[in-house]
Amino acid sequence: MKYIQSKMLLKKVTLAFFSITFVGLTFQGCADLDPDPQEFNLPPGQFTTLDEFEAGVIGSYSLLYSAARMTTFFAPAWAGDDMTTHVLSNKADFREFDQRNVTNTNGRLLNNWNQIYNTINSLNSNLERGKSLGDFDVDKDRLDRLRGEVYFLRGLLFHHLTRVHSKIPIPITEIPDPEERPASQVEVYERIEADFLKAEELLPVIYPDTNPGAPRPNSGSARAMLARLYLDWAGFPVKDATKFADAATSAKQVMDNATAHGFELEEDLEDLWKVENRFNSESVFTISYCSPCTDLANRKYGITGLPADIGSGWAETFAEVRFFEDFPEGARKEATFRTDLNWQNSTDHKGPIFKKIVGPPGDLPANAFATDRNDFMMRYAEVLLIFAEASGQTGTPSAEAWEALNMVRRRAESLPADTPDPSVDITSGDIVELAITERKWELAGEYLRWYDLVRTETMQEALSQRDPQTTTDAGGNLLRVINPIIGSLGTENYFSPIPQAAIDISPALGE
Amino acid sequence: MKKQFTGLLRTGVLIALFALFLGVQQTMAQQTVTGTVTDETDSGIPGANVLIEGTTTGVVTDLDGKFSISASPEDVLLISYIGYQTQKIPVGSQTSINVKLGTDTEFLDEVVVIGYGTAKKSDLTGAVSQVTTESFERQPITRVEEALQGRAAGVSVSSSGAPGSGAKVRIRGANSITGGNDPLIVVDGVIGVDLRTINPNDIASMEVLKDASALAIYGSRASNGVLLVSTKKGSGKPKLILDQFTTFSVVPNKVPLLSSGEFAQQKNEERLNAGSVPPFSDEEIAALNANPIDYQDIIFQTGVSNNTQLSLSGGDDKVKYFLSGNFVDQEGIIITTGYERFSLRSNVNAQLNEKLKLGLNLFGSRETNTNNLDNFNRFKGSSILRTLTWDPTLPVRDENGEYILTSASFANNGFNPIANLERSNREREADRLNANINIGYEIAEGLNYNMIVGLSTLNQNTESYIVNGDQSSNVGSNHTNLSYSNFKNTSHQVSNILNWKKTFDKHSIDLTGVYEFQGNRSTINNYFTTDVILPGFFLGDNADPGRESFFNDGGVSSIQSYLGRAQYNFESKLYLTASMRIDESSKFKKGSRTGYFPSAAVAYTMDDMAFVKDGKVLSSLKLRAGWGQVGNENINPTAGLARTNDGRVFSIDGANQLPGSVLSQVANPDLTWETTTQTNVGVDFGVLSNRLTLSVDYYVKNTTDLLLATQLPRTNINKFLNVGEVQNQGIDLSLSAAVIDKEDFTWDANFNMSFIQNEVLELFDEQEQILGNTISVDGTGNRLNVIQVGEPLGQFYGLTFLGTWKSDEDLPNGISPGDAKYEGFVDENNIYTNTLSAIGNGTPTLTWGFNQNLTYKNWDFNIFIQAGHNFDVYNQVAGAINGGTGDYRDNLSPITGEEWTPENETETPRRNAANLLNSSRYVEKGDFARLSNVSVGYTFDNPIKGIENLKLYASGQNLALITGYSGYDPEVTSSPTGGNSDVASGINIGAFPNPRTYTVGLKVGF
Repeated sequence: MKYIQSKMLLKKVTLAFFSITFVGLTFQGCADLDPDPQEFNLPPGQFTTLDEFEAGVIGSYSLLYSAARMTTFFAPAWAGDDMTTHVLSNKADFREFDQRNVTNTNGRLLNNWNQIYNTINSLNSNLERGKSLGDFDVDKDRLDRLRGEVYFLRGLLFHHLTRVHSKIPIPITEIPDPEERPASQVEVYERIEADFLKAEELLPVIYPDTNPGAPRPNSGSARAMLARLYLDWAGFPVKDATKFADAATSAKQVMDNATAHGFELEEDLEDLWKVENRFNSESVFTISYCSPCTDLANRKYGITGLPADIGSGWAETFAEVRFFEDFPEGARKEATFRTDLNWQNSTDHKGPIFKKIVGPPGDLPANAFATDRNDFMMRYAEVLLIFAEASGQTGTPSAEAWEALNMVRRRAESLPADTPDPSVDITSGDIVELAITERKWELAGEYLRWYDLVRTETMQEALSQRDPQTTTDAGGNLLRVINPIIGSLGTENYFSPIPQAAIDISPALGE
Repeated sequence: MKKQFTGLLRTGVLIALFALFLGVQQTMAQQTVTGTVTDETDSGIPGANVLIEGTTTGVVTDLDGKFSISASPEDVLLISYIGYQTQKIPVGSQTSINVKLGTDTEFLDEVVVIGYGTAKKSDLTGAVSQVTTESFERQPITRVEEALQGRAAGVSVSSSGAPGSGAKVRIRGANSITGGNDPLIVVDGVIGVDLRTINPNDIASMEVLKDASALAIYGSRASNGVLLVSTKKGSGKPKLILDQFTTFSVVPNKVPLLSSGEFAQQKNEERLNAGSVPPFSDEEIAALNANPIDYQDIIFQTGVSNNTQLSLSGGDDKVKYFLSGNFVDQEGIIITTGYERFSLRSNVNAQLNEKLKLGLNLFGSRETNTNNLDNFNRFKGSSILRTLTWDPTLPVRDENGEYILTSASFANNGFNPIANLERSNREREADRLNANINIGYEIAEGLNYNMIVGLSTLNQNTESYIVNGDQSSNVGSNHTNLSYSNFKNTSHQVSNILNWKKTFDKHSIDLTGVYEFQGNRSTINNYFTTDVILPGFFLGDNADPGRESFFNDGGVSSIQSYLGRAQYNFESKLYLTASMRIDESSKFKKGSRTGYFPSAAVAYTMDDMAFVKDGKVLSSLKLRAGWGQVGNENINPTAGLARTNDGRVFSIDGANQLPGSVLSQVANPDLTWETTTQTNVGVDFGVLSNRLTLSVDYYVKNTTDLLLATQLPRTNINKFLNVGEVQNQGIDLSLSAAVIDKEDFTWDANFNMSFIQNEVLELFDEQEQILGNTISVDGTGNRLNVIQVGEPLGQFYGLTFLGTWKSDEDLPNGISPGDAKYEGFVDENNIYTNTLSAIGNGTPTLTWGFNQNLTYKNWDFNIFIQAGHNFDVYNQVAGAINGGTGDYRDNLSPITGEEWTPENETETPRRNAANLLNSSRYVEKGDFARLSNVSVGYTFDNPIKGIENLKLYASGQNLALITGYSGYDPEVTSSPTGGNSDVASGINIGAFPNPRTYTVGLKVGF
């Protein structure tokens, strides 16, 4: 009896449970376990319109901005004989480059590595997501432009990074392969070449509706970058001399179509570094900045180039004293350095101040570190000098090659670039040496000199010349050499190691 | 059968929807019944309820326990009083009924809330710690975490001294790297409440569920432990209590620094040694010596805080109420910081009839937090760190009263932190409303249905105007940030609980079934602009449209659960509990969505055994063991989905920004719960008639399928994974003693202690370590923390400091004698590379608390001591004070004479030698013991008519700290600027110090 009672009770309990659950489900509704993910978020898939593709490309540019906005992007260039940094303070990472003592824990190296690959990945993602757009009825020219831009930026970034590390992974898929190993230097160059060639094919002669200076690349920008690539390829470490001819033809091709691409030498070199001139025809590819926009300012210029006691500077970027002393006097020296400032007697850092960094007097606001200045990733002057140098390497330089060199020399003296002037023109001698020397002065402080030292294997020669200096302070004391070289100047120490933290994440990089 | 079902269904519908309107009417022939209700000592019980069963008619006994009621002969009187067994007496022909009520032993045996029900403390099979009001009511507290701190074994609380900031509560350590380690908070049955929102005065008790057998009923959200909070319910005659206290807070100690004059003197010497001109004249130094500028005196203040609490409670058998209001106004010990909270609670419970009861709890609050320093730019250290490294030769303002914003040559290279604080104003206002309804219906004897419906909303509005710099609109100075943000969160919960209790002879059964669902929805809208010239929140209209940005986001999630629990005991000797919870969460895709969380536990009481029964040594002994699995789903609802970041912008023309979009997260459809499997064994002893009780628990818990936010290699693209394994094992010990228990004099002591050992057993892809997200404040970007296999979560990462390089050593390139020497190696080019490794850990492995309450006549005393051992602090502040890196240009630490000189080659690096903050030089032992509370109170009984009692009290908190640590307080370290605080604990980038406080207050009962 008792048994039956409890059985009945059990039944009742079960019934009650189910009925209440039923009531719950009917009247209270149950949980929505599949909420619409699009309510707050558009999940990525294939682009279906060019506007989406465009937003993706702008997204890549925004990552490029993050990578390039600080001096970190160019930190390896502190190794050049043109630049140095503060002896103390938080500049240890820069000093490692400056003193040729680069460790695999260098924070700037790691940051650069991460930011550049992050941007490359976004470019790969855009190509992947945009690949079916051709099947839609879209503006074919606009599609080509956007795709060309993506290839251009990818080539540019691979090139930027291989100049630092030589062997690097060259991912081209949307989802990166964690097992990917670094490619050989030639494989890397071939990838960059393919990207620039594809970019050249897809990009227009001039990108519509843009400012001067190619803030969006055109086919001439791609060809100019190819010229730079071939010059590197012909030099250390691959030393494939056949590439000099490619460099020369590429540079010539850009020169021949310069007007169509919108490229020409700026009349006055000093004007280049003014904020008002940040979009100018001399730049063959410009990364643009916008300080009034939300966090789109350029943080490489202004007070980063001043010592603490002159304009409350951050004492990051200075010229080498010996480099300054050797610099030929004239308009170009005035355009390169702030000779009006009393840097010799700074109590913080006694070193020449780059006008290219801090701007002409009064041009940038006091205390400015976040500026509107743009980055000229390559200037037309460099195209001319590549042509001169590469021509010299491939045989007897033509008159056009000498003219290209002389155009830069004339402008350096504030003379009209296109008008021959016997007082500065040269038409004989070793045009290769002359062009490399011209680059040394012309491109000083533009984070480029070091790459020349690498490809021409002249690090030892150049960096051994920092002493003796002749400049004295007000007390008549000879200035000390700042940040003396402590690492090897041999070719085994030309390239920077892959950051340890990157290897920790992808051990294949260390193999 | 079908008919029965429909009938029941109808009943169910009625219960659910018309509960409020149910009532039973009765009319009968009446007679007057009088009588007295007494207790076992024959004293009258005033305020006892005398109710006619099945009606709402009833009376309350008078001061002598007498009553008089009209009733019919067929009526049954229900006579009840809290703490006593209810008696039923049929009226019949009686006109005089005297009742003696026996004490309710079930009531005396403490009742513990165990989640979806209660249990007698003696019946527990799992590891549950209880913290009741009595243990913390003698310490003036304004937030709940303070009440938990040091009072429950296995619970660690690390607070920040900042007014209104949350504290980090961990139950038996941290399991998760990405999933979050905050315990689940359940208030009156409603899951997922923010602990900060609760007014501590409203709390009746808190139960900490620690082992898996106790936790498993909360399934997928329980792996970090569960804190059950029960709020007060009223009873008896109306009671009005006013409690008001005022607190004065000060910074307990200062960090030693060079004085203004000493610093100037130092700079002169250095410049002279370098062949330069001394920057300070003798007169200037004399002036600085006469009137030193101490920036610690400038940033710290005496904070005055007020706390006012009013509560009204009471009730009879039908309606019980507890109403309370609370106002907290706190001033921080750092200038401009503050916190305010208004809160209101109404808990009403009604017994509508014999079978149906109803409860409604409403809670509303408004919190305002001003200038929370964590929201100021901490990239180069907090405002406190900036203050400590600021140039002591510069006053805050110049002779014209203008701020001196930068120091051209010395010390910190940033902007004056005092000027930044004084000109900034950031207020966060959070409005909360929580409501929950509890309906209980007794379906049959022992069979009860309960429904809990909870709703909560949070509206949080932040208006922020933060100045860091010159406040101009100069392009490039970019130092005034103005933002508004609105965060709105609403959530709901419906729990249906069915419970059946039955005792057959020696067997007791308690079965619980639950169906529950919960949903949550949040949105955030954000506006940001920069370089607004005029100060204040509301001048965003002046902003340059080109510098404005907007951000909107949101999320929605839901979870549906089924739970079954069976509890059985045999002769109150052997206890068995088993449960199974099934959770389905929208955060995971179909197929990975359903989680099963089982548990089982057994306990055995040996009170009957001869060696216990004889009472010679032991008075009680109980053994417990349990096993179970719980989960963690504490991640963003979109963690498993692919996402883009559409907030990226770029400007092609240098003037207008264009919208851009980047892939930010790839999908992981297999993403699922993190699972923690825990085994617990425990033993409870009672000695001397249980005047001394001791509980010891040992546990081991392994967390697998850790939710880990990883990034695809070489990208910022997130991918959430389930990987790896973390283990925590430890011992919790809790000892309570009624040392003295006399009428005039009582002395209770409670001691608890926890040992914990944490170890990462496995990461993923055979990785040995993952670098953490906490970045050095010196601008180098160095990572300060690392997660390594075989080590506890969150190791400090850095260089091992070996002293100095000596002049007679083979010096590598670029190194001078007296430079700091770190572990490393020299390569063939004579370049010295420092090696990085784990150099410390910031989580204590041993913590204890010792709480004592004494009463003597009308006096009461409380002393509370609390301590943590075996942990380190990564003192980045000390590093920054040593200068030579980042923004910290100069060494401000006092001259000890221990610094390396060519004559005396010590192990302390040369003054102003290059300095790296990420080194073991700045790792310090954090061990401490703190006198957390001392209080004394005196109660006047019936001091004047109308006032039942009046208590005056005074107390001090954090009065003494014993530690070898050189900073303000080893227990407060900074919340990290990025990532999980459990993998960055113990890293100090300038945390808000724990204040020392002095409180005076009064409590009046009417």
